[in-house]
Amino acid sequence: VRWPRWFRRERRERDLAEELESYLTHETADQAARGLSDTDARRTAHRQLGNMTRIREAEYEIRRGHLLTRLESIWLDGRLALRSLARRPSGSVAAISMLGLAIGITTAMFTVVDALSLRPVPFPQPDTLAYVSLQPARTQTVTSDASAAALRAWQHSPAFVHAESADSDTAGISVDGVVAVRRISHVTPGVFDMLGGVRPLLGRLVNASDIGHSVLLSEDLWRSLFQADREIVGRSVTIDGTPQVVVGVLPSEFRFPTWNTALWQVVSPEHPPATTPNRLVRFAPNVPPPDALRLATEAAIAADPSLAGVTLRVRPLIDQFVDPYYQRAMPVLVGGVVLVFLVLCANVSSLLLARLTARQRELSMRSALGAPRRRLIRQAVAESCVLGALGTVAGIAICWTLIALSRSWLSEAFPLHTLNPLSIDLRALVVTAGSGVVATLVAGLIPAWMGTRLAPNALLRVADRGSTDARGARALTRTMLVGEIALACTLLVAATLLVRSFINLSNADRGLDPKGKLGVMVWLPRQAFPDPASRALGAQRIEEGVRQLPGVRHVAWSYGLPPHGGGTWSGVWSSDAPGTIGQMDVAGYAVGPDFFALYGIPLIRGRLFDPADQRPGVVVGERLAHLLWPGLDPVGRTFRVDGRGTTGTFHVAGLVKETHFPSLDATLDMPQFYLPLGTAPTTPAMLTIGCDPVCPQTDLVRQLVLATHPSIRVRDVRVQVLEDVYLEQLARPRALAALGLAFAAIALFASAGGLFSVLSYAVARRKREFGIRTALGASPNQIRRLVLRQGLLVAASGMAIGSATAWLLARALAALQYGVAITDPVTWCSVLSVLGLTTMAACWRPARQAMRHDLVALLREE
Amino acid sequence: MPRKTRGNSRGDFLLGTLDMLILRSVFSAPAHGHTIAHVIEKSSSDILQVEHGSLYPALHRLEDRGFISGFWGTSESNRRARYYRITPLGRKHLIAERSRWQSLVEGVSRVLGPATE
Repeated sequence: VRWPRWFRRERRERDLAEELESYLTHETADQAARGLSDTDARRTAHRQLGNMTRIREAEYEIRRGHLLTRLESIWLDGRLALRSLARRPSGSVAAISMLGLAIGITTAMFTVVDALSLRPVPFPQPDTLAYVSLQPARTQTVTSDASAAALRAWQHSPAFVHAESADSDTAGISVDGVVAVRRISHVTPGVFDMLGGVRPLLGRLVNASDIGHSVLLSEDLWRSLFQADREIVGRSVTIDGTPQVVVGVLPSEFRFPTWNTALWQVVSPEHPPATTPNRLVRFAPNVPPPDALRLATEAAIAADPSLAGVTLRVRPLIDQFVDPYYQRAMPVLVGGVVLVFLVLCANVSSLLLARLTARQRELSMRSALGAPRRRLIRQAVAESCVLGALGTVAGIAICWTLIALSRSWLSEAFPLHTLNPLSIDLRALVVTAGSGVVATLVAGLIPAWMGTRLAPNALLRVADRGSTDARGARALTRTMLVGEIALACTLLVAATLLVRSFINLSNADRGLDPKGKLGVMVWLPRQAFPDPASRALGAQRIEEGVRQLPGVRHVAWSYGLPPHGGGTWSGVWSSDAPGTIGQMDVAGYAVGPDFFALYGIPLIRGRLFDPADQRPGVVVGERLAHLLWPGLDPVGRTFRVDGRGTTGTFHVAGLVKETHFPSLDATLDMPQFYLPLGTAPTTPAMLTIGCDPVCPQTDLVRQLVLATHPSIRVRDVRVQVLEDVYLEQLARPRALAALGLAFAAIALFASAGGLFSVLSYAVARRKREFGIRTALGASPNQIRRLVLRQGLLVAASGMAIGSATAWLLARALAALQYGVAITDPVTWCSVLSVLGLTTMAACWRPARQAMRHDLVALLREE
Repeated sequence: MPRKTRGNSRGDFLLGTLDMLILRSVFSAPAHGHTIAHVIEKSSSDILQVEHGSLYPALHRLEDRGFISGFWGTSESNRRARYYRITPLGRKHLIAERSRWQSLVEGVSRVLGPATE
């Protein structure tokens, strides 16, 4: 192919015209020389040349095989497709946005599923990564020297490819005199090599020479605290009071060992700051796990004989992030998004199909003008491809927005359970965009196929009559609409059940008032507080300090903070009533005298703890009382628990109202009893602050506790708002309910929109029929009823099918429901009425249009 | 609609013949379309009547395949005209076509035999 000539199509056409003209002048001159008059000569020359149009067509045939001509015709097809889409802008925008929504939502959902369920640990071969710890036998202690020796041995053991140390902790980083508290990880230098694929954004990764004085920053920390200063590498920052040199910045995609770790401090395996450091290893791929563990145990004992008798405990890294709630919810979410995808694709298809009549007329016209069938089908393909391409672009934009939103709004629901940075999943994008384009192709090809199958003259006649269209297409459109409404119904039922579960969960009776409460946990360092007397003194200092803060009304010490912080007493329970209860887990809180008043837990019978009253006794909750002494007054009775390490006989002094921890996991909500807390708090010491009207800032409380003793460090203090603990428990059901509701709303509006547009097309198509009916004496109301019946029939069959599938889905959802039955009448009534009203609204306008056709205008149109 | 194939395999017997005739008429000297048409008619003693219009697509097809190359020039009557000259590739093609044609003619005459009354 010689390009330059073909580039200039216009020049080539001009050349041809000039060449033919040259022939004509030569021939005319010849003929004139034979004695013909000028006009006759010219006419004869034209006759000699023959049909000019045929010459041009023959020329086109020559050019057709050329690459550029083909490209040009593809471009022309694309332009024609764009024009044809632009001619019906509202329908095209609807189709493109629905396709975009389908692609965007599905890709976003699969990205989330991938991050939470499929690849929560986005490192190469994540299943070979595991935490391994030394479990001492009874009466044995593992010294840090022995632990370091074991790590050294493991680094050379054939059982592991890598063996490193990675701990997660909290540290204060001071910037310009302000201390910010962030997650820090103490890592050995080889950790990044072990994980694999880590590239620093700035600076470099670490090596053995960095131990003890170097730190890596996260991109987020670098942006927020250092304003993305590119000169940060090599500078010194103060972490927990010691200066550290910044050697690099890690990109925000790197998340390890927790999702919000902001600092990585390089430590030596010999002197880790944690007493029981987390050893992270990568198992050798060719050694079976039992053999690897045996080898590793032997290597550890060989390295330090004091380890004889230890066992190894293995916790795969992935298991840290696999959340049972999401394991249950994932199939539901995936199913939901697939349903939405199907609804939207069916909608796009039915929208395109509904244009069949208009298209058919155009197609038959083009066919009558001589366009071959191949050409018409090619045009349909071009239109679908253009639509698909625009839809994909919209889809990427929607997906990007959704991911950005879920990152910032659902932070407690999602990133907590994954190290995956939630970037758009390209594979999912390709699959969804591909299926979206296939759906549009099918929808585009069906009209072209049907339109070109008939003889052009038959088509023209049918189109002229403007009353009926291909029966197959109409049936297909209706079937798809029924399917859409059924899917919308299914989704709506599921979403309503999830929403009601969430509402029930958040309104559930907790038995205590979580408002205006702060929980503080303080780990009093053993070196500074060796005995109960010093701990009591330390606790007293803290309490005095806290009481000084504005807004503090109550302060209560306890071991175990509600809602689920109590020590679990696991064992066989028996009471002085006949019979034993058997194995049971009960939450036991050791509480100070102010505890019940602070939480607002009312006393039902007996007495509470009083510092002045030294009589022994415990306080039980209603549930435990009911289990131990059904129907009897528990006060004054005794009960016994026999368990591992938790054995005792207790005398009941009082009965209080039960507190609850509403959660989908019912085992978290245990029966409870309360023991008196001695004068010296245990470690960690837990302090609840009840405030009125507003609580002090958590940072302020932390600063205050830190100020009471120099040996208490930032990481030893954790302050949390009590309500947040409940909210955390609600975050996942809330996210699920919100997603379900969003899916259902999209499906509902999409199918209502589909119904509306299909009916509108049908009404426009049947204008003439309605005119005849009116002329024959049908009243406007009768005509309206005709259209309404058509729409509502589709809606009713969709709802019937949808109810059946919803019933099946609701049963599968049982594990995610809280306090709501699948037969819940409120759910079903609201879903069916919402669906009924929506479809009614969708049918109303087309029906009114049908009713209001002006007969005279109709006649004039003909 | 079946796509028309290009090149020697083209089933159209006469078109191939026209290509050969065109190549022959520009063999010795460049010529323009009008001349070519008349040369073919004259040198065949008006036995072969070329539809002049079909000559031009044939010329462009040959040009497209590289057998001839076109250029604008001035004709003997001092008018602008597009001339075509044969290329080395065209010469080779003509020689091959000519021997193919001759063997075809020979074969056909043998089948027909001497003309009998």
